Amino acid sequence: MKILLVEDDREAASYLIQALDEAGHVTHHAADGETGYAMAESMDYDVLIIDRMLPRRDGISIVETLRTNGDATPVLILSALGEVDDRVAGLRAGGDDYLVKPYAFTELLARIEVLARRSSPSEAATVYEVGGLSLDRLSRKVERDGEAILLQPREFRLLEYLMKNAGKVVTRTMLLENVWDYHFDPQTNVIDVHMSRLRGKIDKGHATQLLQTVRGAGYMIRD
Amino acid sequence: MRSLPQLLRTTSVRLTATFILIFVVFSVLLLGIIAWQASIQIQRQQTADIDREVRLLQRIDRTQGLRGIAVAVQRLANQPGPGIYYLGDRAGLFLLGNITDVPDQIIFEPGVYSFDYERPRPFDPDEEGEAERTQGFAVVRSVELASGLRLIVGRDVVERRGFTAIIIQAFLFGVAGILIFSLVAGGLTARRILRRIDTIGATSAKIMSGNLSERVPVTPRNDEFDGLATNLNAMLDRIEQLLQGLKEVTDNVAHDLKTPLTRLRNQAESALRPTADDEQRRQALEATIAESEKLIRTFNALLMIARAEAGAPSGAFAEVDISAVVADVADLYTPLAEDSGMSLVTRIEPDVTLRSNRELLGQAVVNLIDNAIKYLASEEPREGRIEVGVERGVAGVRIVVSDNGPGIQEEDRQRVLQRFVRLEKSRTEPGSGLGLALVDATARLHGGTFRLEDNAPGVRAIIELPAR
Repeated sequence: MKILLVEDDREAASYLIQALDEAGHVTHHAADGETGYAMAESMDYDVLIIDRMLPRRDGISIVETLRTNGDATPVLILSALGEVDDRVAGLRAGGDDYLVKPYAFTELLARIEVLARRSSPSEAATVYEVGGLSLDRLSRKVERDGEAILLQPREFRLLEYLMKNAGKVVTRTMLLENVWDYHFDPQTNVIDVHMSRLRGKIDKGHATQLLQTVRGAGYMIRD
Repeated sequence: MRSLPQLLRTTSVRLTATFILIFVVFSVLLLGIIAWQASIQIQRQQTADIDREVRLLQRIDRTQGLRGIAVAVQRLANQPGPGIYYLGDRAGLFLLGNITDVPDQIIFEPGVYSFDYERPRPFDPDEEGEAERTQGFAVVRSVELASGLRLIVGRDVVERRGFTAIIIQAFLFGVAGILIFSLVAGGLTARRILRRIDTIGATSAKIMSGNLSERVPVTPRNDEFDGLATNLNAMLDRIEQLLQGLKEVTDNVAHDLKTPLTRLRNQAESALRPTADDEQRRQALEATIAESEKLIRTFNALLMIARAEAGAPSGAFAEVDISAVVADVADLYTPLAEDSGMSLVTRIEPDVTLRSNRELLGQAVVNLIDNAIKYLASEEPREGRIEVGVERGVAGVRIVVSDNGPGIQEEDRQRVLQRFVRLEKSRTEPGSGLGLALVDATARLHGGTFRLEDNAPGVRAIIELPAR
């Protein structure tokens, strides 16, 4: 993936560039808002990572201008401001996701991989399929190898989100935000219990475990 | 004390001065109109008197001849008072009267005149001796009688002028009196107002110089200044309370964040130990990350409490379905509770809504259920039971989370609401000691209360939020 990182903290930037490189991504870096905007305008990136507070031009304004110009490149906004209002302001300006500092690198990586449009399945798909597991978003039916699986509404949404992002790591915080719409902080193992129940329903008695735990990061569904 | 120019700039003094000015201008106008009207009235009266006497003397002239008119004029002239009489022969020469020195023009050309003259005698008959001649001013009417004699009848108006002078004098005294009275009254009023404002000013100066416990004195008069003082004092109480809270937080943060920071540092150091092998280094670094994770959570919790205590921006308040929020949290925790061998029961009245902050309320309920699970798990094995309820009361909304765990001693129930307070038996449990502080701050942000009650056994945590 080709990524543009607009971040004024040199140390944080060089760490991110190195880590993204190890994860197999090419990263360009801009240290201020004007340069960042110029680079985003002139080149084609898969994802933009933009710090909210930047010298010369703030991140929100960059995103707004890009969106006004019809640039739909996915944007992840980084910010130390974590209140709901700040988050709403960032997303309203056209940001696709909002990550509050300090964050874990695995969290950032998982989020940009989910954001990148190149590998995303079509939003319009009504049936998601991974291995022998299929989920029909309209009839709300879940089957594995032709065998119907009964899920609670919440488990259905959990599985739907995982399958939509099949093959990508999904963190616990992402699950909380997208499945529960929580931006606050329950104990992390709350999610783990839900996941082990879901696993019990879809993987029990099958040779291949579709729902996998990614150590230190989160969960992933794939065959 | 203020200097004079400073004093003159104050609002109360300027207001008083304005009122005095208006008052004096109106008094002057009023008295002026009275004096003017009175003098016109006197003038008319005198003219009428003169005309009447002239007509009388003309009749006497026609009916009684020279002797009659002479006697009549002489009698009138001898009366004390302002009357002026002159009777001349056909050639205008003085025959009799009480004035001799009259200009020829007045004698020969009939009409109305006014002129200065020498007054031949004092009008006071009691006064003896040589007649004192004084300056007079006369208004007269001159006529030629049927017999050809010349008659002049008039009035000395020095007396009338005297009357005007008396009015003006009275008028000046009046104005001076009014001026002095209003200056004194205005000055006293202004001083009283200034003194009360100065009291408030002096108190704020003391507060600015650092003495935050100072308060504006409130008098029993209960006027608008007392209203202002009461409000100022309430504001100062709030500020003092906030500062006190801030100080406690700073102290606690210093104490409670240094411990994990030390652990963090120790773990990083142990990873750098030359004797450490790869596996030990990896473990040490993982511990470092876990520790910093905990610090971030503590930090976030602190920020959240601070926001709730500072009063969240009104934009963060919306109509929230409390029933749904609480049911969602309960739903999130049910699997965890069940896996830990507890039951989580809900008693949620549907469609309870309230203007509130969804994030903070959600986090508050999360914290309460988290706590309940944590303390039930620390107990020796038995049937743990958590009840989560929402009910609509008379005054608002009640959110209740109760458990049958170890409970909290009565003397500790207030204390555990403070930041970083952790009871001895929970020291070993994971947690920051901020959970209940956030619940308390959230309840207060919504104008409500949070309290812990004995559930015999266990704890009943009650958030009461008033309807707005």
